[in-house]
Amino acid sequence: MRLLALLACLALLVGATGALAQGPRLEPAPGALPAPTIGGPPSAIAPPSVPIEPTTPDLIMDLSLARVSITSAFQGESILLFGMFDPPGEIVVVVAGPSARETVMRKQRFMGIWLNTGRQAFDDVPAYYAIAASQPLQRLLARGAGGEILSLEDRLASLKPATPRDAPELARFRAGLVEVKRREGLYPAAIGQVTVQAGRLFRVDLPFPSRVPEGVYDIRVYLLREGKIVAAVSRPLPVGKVGFNAQLAGWSEHEGALYGVGAVLMALLVGWLGGAVMRRL
Amino acid sequence: MEIYLPIAELSMNVFLLLGLGAAAGLLSGMFGVGGGFLATPLLIFVGIPPAVAVASQANQVVANSISSLQVQWRRGNVDLRMGLVLLAGGMLGSSAGVWLFTYLKRIGQIDFVIAVLYVVMLSTIGLLMMFESLNTYFKRRRNPDGPRGKLHTHYLVHRLPLKLRFYKSKLYISALLPIGLGFIIGVLSAILGVGGGFVLVPAMIYLLGMPTAVVIGTSNFQILFVAANVTFLQAATNGTVDVVLALLLILGGVVGAPIGARLAAKLPGVALRALMSLLILLVAAELLTELLRTPSSLYSLGTREVLP
Repeated sequence: MRLLALLACLALLVGATGALAQGPRLEPAPGALPAPTIGGPPSAIAPPSVPIEPTTPDLIMDLSLARVSITSAFQGESILLFGMFDPPGEIVVVVAGPSARETVMRKQRFMGIWLNTGRQAFDDVPAYYAIAASQPLQRLLARGAGGEILSLEDRLASLKPATPRDAPELARFRAGLVEVKRREGLYPAAIGQVTVQAGRLFRVDLPFPSRVPEGVYDIRVYLLREGKIVAAVSRPLPVGKVGFNAQLAGWSEHEGALYGVGAVLMALLVGWLGGAVMRRL
Repeated sequence: MEIYLPIAELSMNVFLLLGLGAAAGLLSGMFGVGGGFLATPLLIFVGIPPAVAVASQANQVVANSISSLQVQWRRGNVDLRMGLVLLAGGMLGSSAGVWLFTYLKRIGQIDFVIAVLYVVMLSTIGLLMMFESLNTYFKRRRNPDGPRGKLHTHYLVHRLPLKLRFYKSKLYISALLPIGLGFIIGVLSAILGVGGGFVLVPAMIYLLGMPTAVVIGTSNFQILFVAANVTFLQAATNGTVDVVLALLLILGGVVGAPIGARLAAKLPGVALRALMSLLILLVAAELLTELLRTPSSLYSLGTREVLP
């Protein structure tokens, strides 16, 4: 009888982890979808120096998902960005994650052992940065897109070092930063060119790896004609944990002591029950 | 099947983590040590950030030691007085250890310190165990009954002040000794995410001269509270305890431990210890290679700080 009760307890626990692995399903939240921006660029986006035609051409875009939801089953996500524009022209898509200070560390051999000896912090490093275009980017940007569209290299060249250092060393640390971010899939080298169909429909896949940092990402789409920005639309894309994951992460961050007590109690309970059950089998 | 670990912030295979827990449990069942010394480096090896691996492993140690303590306590194998004295040192040591961990993490040297400490500790213990088991093996072949030695030998350490009587352990030694030992184990536990049983158990036998019967139970007692302290402090100060990760390791361990205990009952002790020492040396060698080999990338990133 007692054995049965104990077995039931274990089954419950296993069930709980199973549910946890399934995780809360992604909620599409169609209501949260901001209406696609139609028409010309909002004044906040277009710098005043950019000459805009009296009648701004149409540029519409939307995403296959309104947000990146990090559930227990999250393994990274690929979001489809699609839209339509008034031909002619070329499309450039820029996705930037929230900025933060990142510290780059460099290893060096010291008495035969590799250890971190150099470090350099940069302010204002985007957590994620991806850029794609309907034509080779260099060619488009070489014609000068008003200095607003930045390739990854240009974006990172403007990083502010937290502490001063000579230029060649800074460049090496900056290259190291890109190398690590590339490896983690956060600065995708090529997110595939933007494909254009029927001269006016465009689409591109935006890959987000499982290690994607949380925050509100900024997605911008530009329409270029003869190297000039003639229309632009932007959209925030929230990336964050949802459901159980969000709750746990929140407790861990804001209620660390309480979370610690909970973790210890969980271990005591599972260890005690598990030990008792297994010894009887 | 992949699962997203909310604090480690990456997704990982569920069965890999369950298997890791089971392997650690198997070791703990076979040798009465926590198995954390094997699980933590492996967790780091599969890509869990070291800070999260260490803190979550401490959480797993809590579950592991309560389930062994259940049995040891019932059999009366816990020297409570010795356990409490050890624990006094252990609490101080683990608190100091978590502080040290936080500091090392901030200056970016925690991975290095973890690796070096593991290499030094594992190779020392592995070699000692290897020699000891080979020695026993050959001695036994020469003299099957084996000579009976003294209950324990007396060293300089027995002349320290603050002497206490430990009735269950049949010892009259300075309390400073177990306090100091507890302190060291506490620091190790906090930095490496291990219970420290594989250091504590030999030290209690050879250094303190405790009878073997009470060693496992008493060390389990101290480890339980030290690991709980480490888990709590890591969660409160660093927020690096991943309970999803810990739960998977614990569930694996719950299944692995009794299998290990049954295996241990069937295999001869000497062979078992030789096997264990080989395993320990293997992990040490792997970690040492990591330190010496030219890394695939010279660069790594520290913690992201969102500026106000």
